[in-house]
Amino acid sequence: MTKHKLFWLPMALVLAAMVGCSGNKEATSEQPAPATSATAEAPPTPIDPSTVGEITGKISFQGEKPKPKPIMMDQDPVCVRAHQGKGASFEDGEVNANGTLPNAFVYVKAGAEKYTFATPTEQAVLDQKGCMYIPHVLGVLVGQDVHIVSSDPTTHNIHPMPKDNREWNESQAPGAPPIDKTFAREEIMIPVKCNQHNWMRAYIGVMKNPFFAVSGSDGSFTIKGLPPGDYTIGAWTATFGEQEQKVTVGPKEKKTVDFAFKS
Amino acid sequence: MPETPEKDPVISQSLAGYLFIAAVLLLLSLAWALWQEFFGIRPWKDYEREFVSRYSIYLHKQIPLQEKAEKEIENSPAYLTLQREYQDLEKSILPKRESLESETALIDVRMAGVLDRLTDVRSQVAARGYTIEHATADSTKKQALVEGDLRPFQATKYTLTLQSLEGPGKFDSVTLDSKGLEEELARLQTMKAQLQAREGDLLRPLSEKQKKIDDYLHTQLFVQNRLNGLSVDQLRGLIAKMQIFTIEIKQINNPDAVIVDRCESCHVGIREPLKLAPADLETSSGKPDVMSQAFVSHPDMELLRIHDPAKFGCSPCHNGNGMQVDSVTQGHGEYEHWLWPLYHKGNMEAGCQQCHASDMVLDHAPVLSRGKELFQWRGCVGCHRFQGYDPEPEDLAAIQQQVQQLEQDRENDQHGVERANHLGDIATDNESARRYYLQANELRVAISKIDQQIDLLDNRSADVMRDMKKVAPDLKEVRVKIHPEWLPVWLTNPHAWRPTTKMPRFRLDEDDVKQISAFIWQNGLDVKLPAQPMGDPKRGEESFKSRGCMACHSIGEGAAQEGGWFAANLSRVGEKDNYDYLVRWIHNPRERSAPYCPYEKRDLNPADYEKHGLPFVFDLDHNRCPNDGHVLEVEQMTVMPNLRLSWQEARDIAAYLETLKKEEPSSFAKVPWINDPKVAAGGRKAVGFYGCAGCHEIAGLETEGRIGTELTKEGSKPFEQLDFGLHVAEARDSGWYNHKGFFEHKLTRPEVFDDGYVTKTEDERTRMPDFFESMHDGTAQAVSVLNSEPVPESKKWSESDLSGADQEQINALTTFLLGAVSSKYPERYFYLPPDQRRDIQEGWWIVKKYNCMGCHQFTLDQESVVMNLPQFQTPEGKGQLPPRLVTEGARVNPEWLAKFLANPSLSDTDTDRDGVRSYLKIRMPTFFFSPVEIRKLVRFFQALSEQPMPYIPRKLEPLSTAELTMARALFTSQGAPCLKCHAIGLAEHDKNATAPNFLMAPDRLKADWVRHWILDPSMIDPGTNMPSNLFRHEGSRWVFAGPTPPSFKGYNGDHAGLLVRYMFEINSAEQQRLIQMTGGNLKPKLGASTTRLESSPKVRIAGGPRPSGRGRETLAPRGPAGPSR
Repeated sequence: MTKHKLFWLPMALVLAAMVGCSGNKEATSEQPAPATSATAEAPPTPIDPSTVGEITGKISFQGEKPKPKPIMMDQDPVCVRAHQGKGASFEDGEVNANGTLPNAFVYVKAGAEKYTFATPTEQAVLDQKGCMYIPHVLGVLVGQDVHIVSSDPTTHNIHPMPKDNREWNESQAPGAPPIDKTFAREEIMIPVKCNQHNWMRAYIGVMKNPFFAVSGSDGSFTIKGLPPGDYTIGAWTATFGEQEQKVTVGPKEKKTVDFAFKS
Repeated sequence: MPETPEKDPVISQSLAGYLFIAAVLLLLSLAWALWQEFFGIRPWKDYEREFVSRYSIYLHKQIPLQEKAEKEIENSPAYLTLQREYQDLEKSILPKRESLESETALIDVRMAGVLDRLTDVRSQVAARGYTIEHATADSTKKQALVEGDLRPFQATKYTLTLQSLEGPGKFDSVTLDSKGLEEELARLQTMKAQLQAREGDLLRPLSEKQKKIDDYLHTQLFVQNRLNGLSVDQLRGLIAKMQIFTIEIKQINNPDAVIVDRCESCHVGIREPLKLAPADLETSSGKPDVMSQAFVSHPDMELLRIHDPAKFGCSPCHNGNGMQVDSVTQGHGEYEHWLWPLYHKGNMEAGCQQCHASDMVLDHAPVLSRGKELFQWRGCVGCHRFQGYDPEPEDLAAIQQQVQQLEQDRENDQHGVERANHLGDIATDNESARRYYLQANELRVAISKIDQQIDLLDNRSADVMRDMKKVAPDLKEVRVKIHPEWLPVWLTNPHAWRPTTKMPRFRLDEDDVKQISAFIWQNGLDVKLPAQPMGDPKRGEESFKSRGCMACHSIGEGAAQEGGWFAANLSRVGEKDNYDYLVRWIHNPRERSAPYCPYEKRDLNPADYEKHGLPFVFDLDHNRCPNDGHVLEVEQMTVMPNLRLSWQEARDIAAYLETLKKEEPSSFAKVPWINDPKVAAGGRKAVGFYGCAGCHEIAGLETEGRIGTELTKEGSKPFEQLDFGLHVAEARDSGWYNHKGFFEHKLTRPEVFDDGYVTKTEDERTRMPDFFESMHDGTAQAVSVLNSEPVPESKKWSESDLSGADQEQINALTTFLLGAVSSKYPERYFYLPPDQRRDIQEGWWIVKKYNCMGCHQFTLDQESVVMNLPQFQTPEGKGQLPPRLVTEGARVNPEWLAKFLANPSLSDTDTDRDGVRSYLKIRMPTFFFSPVEIRKLVRFFQALSEQPMPYIPRKLEPLSTAELTMARALFTSQGAPCLKCHAIGLAEHDKNATAPNFLMAPDRLKADWVRHWILDPSMIDPGTNMPSNLFRHEGSRWVFAGPTPPSFKGYNGDHAGLLVRYMFEINSAEQQRLIQMTGGNLKPKLGASTTRLESSPKVRIAGGPRPSGRGRETLAPRGPAGPSR
C-alpha cells in the first residue's frame, strides 16, 4: 500500500497542474439508502358487519332430466351392504326432483380480493360412508383443516388430484385414526378419488374468501356476510360445466342470482 | 567596413516557444499515459472497487434481516426445545461431571505432591550418575561406585504426606523409595487419563446436541430460502473478505488445458455463495446499471459445482476472449480480431456441445438438447452427416468390411493348414512332423474361431439393419398407399397442405413436380393389397384417443390441434392414403410389400422364393435372402411401433381417420401423365439432385450417399468458408456477419445466400429446402418461390416473421450448430464416462429415436405428451396414464425387462394385450428393437437407478408355515386392500383391477424396491394410484396399518417384509389357493358363514373399541365450513 501512495503523490501533482478539467466525479460517499422495506402489505380492508348483504339463488336445470346412474358396488360387499339393498347412484349429473341441481359450488370468484380472512379454526369434515364421500362437494378456506374420517368397515384411500396444490394419496383402514390435511393454495375444484372404489368422488373447493355455498337438494344456495361491492359469482358443476355472473351488492342488500344449466 | 553582422540567430531567435509547446505536449502525453495506465485500460479496477462497495452495502443490509430471521428461529418452539434439551442434558450430567472433576482435582493435588519429591530425587540420581560416569574409566570401579553410592541413594525411602483420593481434607502418609515414587506417579497418571476419558464420554452428547442446534438454524434459514442458509456469522465473514479484497486481475490459470481466463476481474460476484441479482447490487442511486448486470452470481450454481471453474475456466463454455481485460467489448470477443465472440444469451448452451457431443439429452441444457433432437427429427441427418447420428449405415459398412477381412484371413489360414500338413507329411523326423501337424491344428482352430466371428458379425448386421431407420416414408409403397393426384399437391408445397409437417418445401417448378411425381409413381412396387371392409369410426375414435396413438400423432389443425408432435398430423391422411393400406399400416406399420436384398441391391418378388420352393414369407424370423442367404430388409424402416391391435380395431381406427378429411381425393387435379415414362425420365435426376433418398426409401437409390456437407465441426469452420453470398456488406453493417447470423439466416430461408445472383444456374443454387415457413402473422407459409427464379423483395422473410414455434426450432438448431466445433481442449475434458454413465448417454439416443417420452416420464420435470392430453386430465383419465419410469431400473429385474421390451404382450399367442398392465387402454407397443437396442435400454434403466449389472437377485428368507398362513390371511382380509386393485387373473375380478398381477412379481420385480414401494409409494411415484400409509412404524418394525387377522397375534416380525417375501413366493397354484380361500371370487364374504379369514377384523371393528380415541362423534357428516350452506 505504501508503494502505491508514494506513486500517487507526483501523479496527483501532475494531474492537478496539467489537467484543467476537474475530475468531476460524483461524490462516492456511499451512504446506504435507508432500508425502507416496502414489503409491508396494505392493511386489509375491514368489513363492516352492519352493511353486509347476502346472495341467494337457485341452480336450475333445463332440458331432459338425465336418469340416475346406478353405481355397481358389487366389487366390495361392504359397500353393497351399507346401502341395504337399495343401491346408490352417482352424484355427478344428478338432478333434484324439482328440476334443480344439487352439489353446485357457488362462490365469489372475483371482487373479494381486498379482504383478508383468518383461517377458520373449525374443521371441514369429509366422511366416507357407504363407500361414498360425504359431502360430495366441500368448500374450505386456504389452510383450513380438512378432517377426513371413515364410517365404513372397509379400507379406503383418499386421493385428491389437484392441479395447483400438493398431491397425496393415503390409505385409511377401518378404525384407523382420522386424517387431517390442509390445502395451501386456492383451487376450484380438487377432485378426490378412492382408487379402491373407483366410483367414489368428492370435490374440494379451496377458497381465499369464505363467500361460497353448495346448492342443496332444493337447488338453492345462500352466501351470507358479503360486504357491499361488485362481484363475479361462479357456479361450478361437475357435469354441466361452470358459469359466472356479475353482480353488485349494496349495503344490507339481499340479491338473487340464479343460474341455469343445460344438459 | 565591417559588415553588419546578420542577425545572430543565437541572439535573435528563440526556440523557447517550440520547446514550450513540446514540453507541454510531452507532459500532456505523460499525463495521458499515466491516466490511461490507471484509468483508461484498467476498467476492471473500477468494477472491483464498485463491487466491493456495493456488495458490502448489500451484505450490511442483509445482516439485520438475517439476524431477525435467526431470532425468530431461535424463538421457535423447536429451537427452544432443542436448547432446553441441551440445558437439561447439561444439568443432568452436572453431578457426574462435578464428581469426575473433583476426583481429577484430588489426583492433581496428590500428583503434585509425588512429583514435588520425585523431581528432586530424579535430579539427584542424574547428578550422581553423571559424577560416576565421569569419575573413572574403569568399569569395575564404576560398578563399585554404583553399588556403593547410587543404589543406596535410590533405595532411600521417603515418607510423604499426600492428598488422599478419598476426599478433600484427607491425607495419606506413605513411605516410598524412588522406584515407588515413579510407580505412584504412573498410577496417578493412568487414573487421570481414565477420568478424562470418562468425562469426554459424558460430554459428547452435549457437543452433539450443540451441533444439532447449529444445524437446525442453518437448515431453517435454508428452508426459508434466506440467503442460501448463510448465518449472520457467515455473512460477517463475507464482509470481512471484502475488507481485505485486493484490487488486482482475478485470473483462472489452468496450464493443463491452456485456459487463462480473467473474466472474474469484472464478474467478481460470479462464485459468491449466495444468489446475487442485478437489483441486489444497484448503484448508490438505487438503479441497476451495466455493473449490476456484471456482478450477479452464476445463474446455475449446480453447473459450477459440476464444472469446477479452477479446472474449466469460463471461456471454454462461454467463448469470448478470456485473457482480454482492456474493455468489455474485447473481453467478450466482440471485435474483428477475435473469431469466437461470447455466445449470445439464447445460444449460451452451445458451449456444452464440444465436450458433450456424445449426449443426446443433457441436463441443464434444454435448448441444446432440443437442437440435437431436431437435427434428427427434422431430417437434417438425411443430407448432412453428423457424428453420432444415424450410425447404422456406417456400422453396416464397417461390419461388411470386417467380414471381408475375416474371409480373407480364413482363406489364408486354409492355405496355411494345407502347407503345414504337407510339410508334416514330408518331414525328415517325427519331431518336426509333430510340430507341423500341431501348427496345422492351431490354424484349424483359428479358422473355427473366425467362423464364429463371422456368425456374430452376420447376426450383428441383421441387428443393425433392424435398427436402421429412415426419417420419412418408404416411397416404394407409393402405388399401394397413395392417391396419385395428391403427389403434385404435396410436392409443390408440403407446408400448405399440412402446416406441421417436417417435410420441407423444395423450390420446384411445375415441370419438376410432374417429373418427380411420375418417377416416384412409376418406380413404386406394383402389388395389390387385400380389400378391407369398412370399420366403425366411432369405435375407431375411442381407440385412437385411448390406445396411445396421440403420444406421437396429432389431429386437428391450428388452434384445434391436439396430440404429439413427433409424428404426422393425421387430420388429412384420408385425402392421401388408400384405406386398405392405412388398415395394414395401423395393424403393423413394419409390414412391407416386398423384402429388399442389400446384396443384390433389389427388392425380391414371389418368383425369387418360388424358385427355391419357398412361400413368399418374409419377416424378422424369415429374414434371409433365398437366393444367397444375405440378411434382408424385411421391415418398413419406420420407428413407428406395432400396437398389436386386432384387424378389426385397425379398421375402426382407419375408418375414423378417413372421417377427418377436409376434401375428397377426387377434388385434386387429375394426373393423366403419371404413368408416362417420358415425364418420369427427368425425375430420376431431380430425385438424386435433391437427395430425396436421404430420408425416403426409393427403389434403385438405396445406396445413395448424403448430398449435404458434414456438419460435425461446422461451428468452427472459418468465416471465409461460410458463403454469405452478396450479403456480406449488409451482414457486417447489421451485425450478423458471424456464425450465428449465418446459421440463422440459412435455416430461416436457405436460398437467402443466392439472392442477387444473376448468373447462377439452377444447379448452382442451394438445394437446401425451406423448413420453416409458418408465419407469426397467421399465414400458413410464404408464397412458394421457385429455385430458378430470383426471389422478389416481397417474398423474402426473416426469422422475426416466423411463428414462435419455428423461431424456437431455428434457435435450438443454431445453438447446436454453434456448439459443433472441433475443440481445442484435451480429450480428457470431453464427457466420455467409462462407467454406467455411458449407458445413460447411449440410452437417451434410443429413447429419443422412438419417442419413449411421448408416453413415459423418465424424470419428474420432463412431461410426457399423453399426460397433457385432455382425455388424461380427469381423475379417471389420470388412472389410465402409462407408468412413470423414474425408478424403473431399481424396480424391475433387467432380464425380465429385456423380455418385456422384446415383446410387451409377454405372450407368443395372446398378443392383443399389454403383458403387465392389461387394465390400461393405452398400450406399450412392440418396437421390434434389435438385441443391441434392448441391451442398451436395459442398461440405461439400470444405470439411471445406479443398479449393478448383471443383476443377481437377493435370496429372500423362505416363509415359515405360520408366516405363510398369516400372509394368506392378510392378503384376503377385508382390511388389506391389495386385491381390490391388483389383478389376479380372474376375469370378473380383473375388470375392476387398476394394478398389475402379483403373479409377475417374482420374475419382474426387485424385492428391495418392493419394500420401499409398499411403505410409501408416493416417495417413488408422486401421484400414484397406490396409497401411502399402508404401514405404520412400531419400534424398529413396520406393521400393517389396518386390522390384521388373528394369526398375527404375537408375531414380532416386520409386516412389510412378510408381505414382500410372500409376494415373491406367489405362483399360479398359490394364486388359485387365494381365490379358493375367498369362495372363488376374491370378494370377502359378509355375515356369519365366512371362512376364518374375514371374521376377525370386521367383528373387532364393528363391535370392539376403535383403536383411536378420536372420531366417533365426528363421524356424522357436516356441511362445509363456509358461512352458509
